[in-house]
Formats: sequence, C-alpha cells, structure tokens
Amino acid sequence: MAADPTKLKVAKDVGRTDVLFHLARQPGTSRVFVGSSDFKLYELDLQAEKPEAKEIGGHGSYVTSVALAGKTLVSGSYDCKLSWWDSENGKSIRSVDGHAKRIRMIVASPDGKLVASVADDMICKLWSVADGKLMRELKGHDAITPHNYPSMLYAAAFSRDGKQLATGDKTGKVCVWNVADGKQLGTLDASGVYTWDPTQRRHSIGGIRSLAFSPDGKRIVVGGMGKVGNIDHPDAPGRLEVFEWPSAKKLYDLQTEGKLKGMFEQLAFNADGSWLVGAGGGYAGFIAFVDVNNGKIIFQDSAPMHVHGLSLAESGDTIYASGHNKLVRWELNA
Amino acid sequence: MSNTSLNRRAFLGTTAAAVTAYAADMTGLNVLSQPALAAELKKKDKRVILLWLAGGASQLETFDPKPGRPTGGPYRAIQTAVPGVEISELMPKMATRMKQTAIIRSLNTKIADHGGGATMMHLGRRDEPSVRFPDLGAVVARELGSADSKVPDYVSFYTQTEGRGSGTAQTGGFLGARFAPMYLTDKSTPPYLSRVESITDIDHQQRAELRDLLSKRFARAHETQSVGSHNQAYARVRGLMSSEKLFDIEQEPQSIRDKYGPTQFAQQALVARRLIEAGTPFVKVSRAWWDSHGENFETHLELVTELDHVMSTLIDDLKDRGLLESTLIVTLSEFGRTPRINQGLGRDHFASAWSTSLTGCGVNGGSVYGKSDADGNTVADGEIGASRLFSTIYQAIGIDPYKEYHVGPRPVPLVDNHADPVYEVLV
Repeated sequence: MAADPTKLKVAKDVGRTDVLFHLARQPGTSRVFVGSSDFKLYELDLQAEKPEAKEIGGHGSYVTSVALAGKTLVSGSYDCKLSWWDSENGKSIRSVDGHAKRIRMIVASPDGKLVASVADDMICKLWSVADGKLMRELKGHDAITPHNYPSMLYAAAFSRDGKQLATGDKTGKVCVWNVADGKQLGTLDASGVYTWDPTQRRHSIGGIRSLAFSPDGKRIVVGGMGKVGNIDHPDAPGRLEVFEWPSAKKLYDLQTEGKLKGMFEQLAFNADGSWLVGAGGGYAGFIAFVDVNNGKIIFQDSAPMHVHGLSLAESGDTIYASGHNKLVRWELNA
Repeated sequence: MSNTSLNRRAFLGTTAAAVTAYAADMTGLNVLSQPALAAELKKKDKRVILLWLAGGASQLETFDPKPGRPTGGPYRAIQTAVPGVEISELMPKMATRMKQTAIIRSLNTKIADHGGGATMMHLGRRDEPSVRFPDLGAVVARELGSADSKVPDYVSFYTQTEGRGSGTAQTGGFLGARFAPMYLTDKSTPPYLSRVESITDIDHQQRAELRDLLSKRFARAHETQSVGSHNQAYARVRGLMSSEKLFDIEQEPQSIRDKYGPTQFAQQALVARRLIEAGTPFVKVSRAWWDSHGENFETHLELVTELDHVMSTLIDDLKDRGLLESTLIVTLSEFGRTPRINQGLGRDHFASAWSTSLTGCGVNGGSVYGKSDADGNTVADGEIGASRLFSTIYQAIGIDPYKEYHVGPRPVPLVDNHADPVYEVLV
C-alpha cells in the first residue's frame, strides 16, 4: 500500500522521562538508536510490544546526535566528544575530542564512509568512519552574529549522492560544500529563521535547525522557525525555506498553520522526492508533509511531543521519532 | 513625546525642588543627625554597581550548576580559582576571578512574578501600600552621596523595553525625588543635559554668577535654609551639566573600549565605571531580558557569555584603578529559573532556591553561602530572603543595616525586620 501522509496515525507511543535529541535507525528495521538528555545512548525496537531501552554508552553531557554508518554508530555531545560504537554489540570503539565547543549534529554520508559533525566552534568536520581519522575541516560560518553574540552551527545534511554537504547556522546562513575537496560551492540566505530583537529583549532566537537535499539534488530545504514576536517563547510557526540548487535562488518559503508552532528540527524526503516530512515543535510538537514541487502543505498535525529526532522508513510508510519524554512510531497507510 | 522619563526641564526642576526639600527633610535620617558617623562613611567613598539581570537569570546556568542531574541542563560545571567552588562552564572568565566574588546559593524570595519579584529585589522587602519604600539605589545615594556632589548620585540604565516598568517607580520613595535615579532609557547618554546651543558657556557662567550675586544679596536680607539650598540646587545642576562627558565612552582610550567590547551592556558597564570613578555612589545597569521560558540554553549561551565578559572586564578595570576594594558589584534578578526543563527546552519563573553574587567591596572573595538540594528544587542549607541580602549589601559598603529611618513618627527599619547580614560572605 502506498504511503499516504493524510493517513498519519500514531502506532506506538513510548513514554520516557528524558529528552531524546536525535534518532538513527538501522536501515530496513525498526531498531533505533537515540541520544538522551541523561547523557546516554540507547537502542530500542519500536516494533516490539513493549520496547525496552538498552543502554549502549554515554557522554559527559547531552547526547545531541547519533548517526549510523553501516554497522558503526557515531555519537556527538555537548561534551565536545565524538564516540564510535559497534551497533551490533554496543561496544565502544573509540572516542575523540571532536570540537572545541558543543557538538550539535552528526550526519553520515550515504555510502557510510564519512560522518560530518557540526559544532559551536562553527566548523564542520569530516571524519573517516573506518578509523576515526579527521579528513577535513570546513570553515565558512562566522563565530559571532552580526549583533556581536556567539553564533551556533546547528545543522548539516549530505546530498543523496554524497558529493555535497550543506551546513546551516544560527543566523540563517547555509554553506554548501564539495565533499571531495572541501571547497565551498556556494551559500544560501535563509535569514527568515533567525529573529534578533533589538528593542524589547535584545537577544535572539531561532536558527537553522534542519536541512535536506531533494533526492535529485536540485532543491535544498532549510528548516527552522519563522520570525518571533516575543522571543521568550518558541511560538512562531515552523518555517521552511526552499532553494533551487545550484543556482541558490530562493523559490519560496512556507510556514506551519494554526496552533502548530516551533522549529522544524528534522526533515526527510521520501524516496521519489514527491513529498518531504518535517517535524519539530516548541511547547508542543508538530509534523507536516510538504509537496516541495509546488510548495503546498499536504498534511499537518500536532505530534505527541516536541520532536527532535526522526527517521523515515525506506518504504515511506513509517516514521520513527524521538523527542521530549517520548518515542513515537507513526504509520502512514493505516 | 519621547518615552524617556527624564527631560531637562523636568530634571532641573526636580533637582531644584528636591534640594530645597533636602534641608527640610521629614524623614529624620539619622546619619545626618550623627555628623561624625556620616563623615566616616562618606570618606570611605564606597560605591555600588548593580548588574540587574532583568527577566530572571538561571542560577543553574550561572552560579549554581547541577551537572548530570535531570534538571542540570547540558552545560558542565567548571572549577574556579577557588578550590572546591564550581560555576557554569558558560562563565570561564569569572571562574578565574572567583577570588574576588562571593556567591549566595540559597535565596528563597517566594515571589515568582516579574512585577512582584522585581519590586521585592529592588526594595529588599515586600511593598506596602502605606509606605513608599526607597529602592537600594536611593538608599545608597542617600547614605553615600554628597549634598554638594557635582555628579549624579544614582544613575539607572534600562535601555531594553521589556520589564522596564517592573520594580520601583524610580521615585526615591519616602527619601524623596532628590534620591531618584537619573533614569536612562533611550540611550547611554542623558538627553537634555547638554547646554543648549543658543547659550554659550560664557553666557551660562555669567548667568550663574549673576544668579549667585542676586541670591547672596537676597540671602543677606532673608536668611533662611531654603535660600541656601536653592543656591546648592543651581550649583548641583551646573555640576551635573558638566558631568555629561562621564557618559561618553569616546573619552576612554580605545584599548579600554576594546576590552569591554561592542555590546550595549558592555558599553553601559564602562559608563558605570566612569561614573563610579567620578564619585557616583550607585549605578544600576539593567540587562534585559532573561525570561527564557523557551530555548533557555540558547538564550543563556548568549546572555551568560556576555555577562561573563562584561563582569570580568569590569572587575579587572576597577581593580586596575584601585577601585575594586571600594566598589561592590552585585548581580541580581527578580528571581531565578525552574530546575524543571519544559518541552520548549525552557525554564520558567522560580523564586524558591536561586543565586546572587557579590564582588569587591567588603566581600569575602571566594566564599559560598548556602546550598540548594541536588536538583536545585529547594534550599538545603542557609536559606535567606531579600532582607538578609540587602542587610549584607549595606554591611559590605559600610551602611549600618540596623539603622532606622522615620517617616513622620513611624520608625522604618532600613532593613526589613532588622535582618542580619550574612557575615560569612563579608570580610
């Protein structure tokens, strides 16, 4: 049965006491790995009747990201370390001092040979999955915002062919890199996801929290939150900005509607690129499906929690998600 | 109409009226009734800079980290220059300067709304409808200022708009308008303080001399207190006008301005140092807005990083100038933030177990008083309220915390319930 976003239904809801910031899934299975606010990594099977979390290991702070490259799991944390794990037996392989500041996201290349890490030192680093060797440093994001405060490098995504990599920072700048030689291919301006309040509160909120290349590599989608009126609260609509690549021309932006507020924390295209799923939240969660070709929201709904981690099954009919105090499995063909 | 609360005409009028009222003060301030004590206090030239972290800074991301606890958030604790004392990793510069700073980790001030909390933490007590209590700045200005000072006694910066209306009405309370702050809300420089272009400085001086001549002639025929204070008022206004350059950081060497950095908070802290150096007893620099109901860790990454830099630069600057021993730097908010982390990764209002810091004058640097429980939900040891904190501040700068004012016949303790200072954080 073909996946139908309008048929979205929660099939499994697993309560937790922690916040699960990121999720990686073993391809073709329902085995997921999650990074937690309790400084640990866990493995669960979200098809199990009563999924039980198996502890794999830990870090010295929030585990903000996990990436699965073949059978190797790589985790990153606010403790600035990257750790390699054998996903089959949970054994630690190595840990390295990855960055000078907090690691925000790790993504694995489609061939599983590289992982890219981004951190508040504003550097994207490419690492060899096989031996943990640092292959390249990509520097193109400013350390300080235009308003003289520390910036953050939140998001990264590989193109489906693995040849290009996009990185996104707090101010809404995207750098696109050629993975083979580390050269910067271009930049995108998605500053609509960054709010600086110069008058009332004099600080900022927002930033690029998620990125995705379309399967054909001709679109880059940037996820975050729209302009916020009262920056005490993450309650502006979720915002996507869609660019044509490589022209870097902005095609359109769109925002979640109604009570669906907060940031797009995760994005994933289905196999043929006919739609994109995005999820995130603020004080509550949301999920939205978008036809990227025409910029229309196909379907949107509240989520059981603020979603931080997401994986779309290869078939496109199941979504695995982690977030605030929960894990969820959605089915799209019920 | 400008939204500034100060315009030149109003300011001059207020000052003149206030100084006139000064001599006929109805509060019966007992410092003035004991000239020896007053002189002793004033010769010490004690000063206060209040860094008002409006909106409520998180104790967990500053002075009372709980790393590894469910409430602790992502930031680690780092060792400071004082063995055994750790603060948030967001404050690496302050960590190396902790020998000048005392931390109190056991404030339970009970009021967790912005208005009520700000009022309490400005007055050191709950407000009462029947008495217009002066705030901390007004008291310090009253006790440590000089009647003939040519610089303002109390300057208050609040250039962000959020929360500006919280706290006190900037009136000086029952001490009167003479001790109300010079309140700067638009820019870091007071408007309307400059001499108007159409009058030259020579004209202005000559007018002052003529006024003085006429006043003296009048005074010889009509000798009263109010005539004398009237002349004082004009002298004070003239002095205040000449203090305009104190607000101009362009007067500072570039190297000093570079140390403070480009943010508005930093530049106002530099002006605060200039004012302190020139003799202003109390400067409040408000840095709004810390009310991080959502995205607490991102907000605090911005704001604590700035606080860490500004506070440590200010400490160094005062120390280099030999002013740190006589200047007390206080960090204070209306409350702290909840240990519980909400779904928006925010922390909400929390007054039950939060922290403040005292640096410099009279402070037992490196000391830590009080303790919150493992998750920061309650005070585990050494609970104090606003009154003991204020008593501690007064004691640190040489003001007798047990003294009383009188409002008419009513005795009003300077510190609510004559609360004792926390001697553990004082030298």
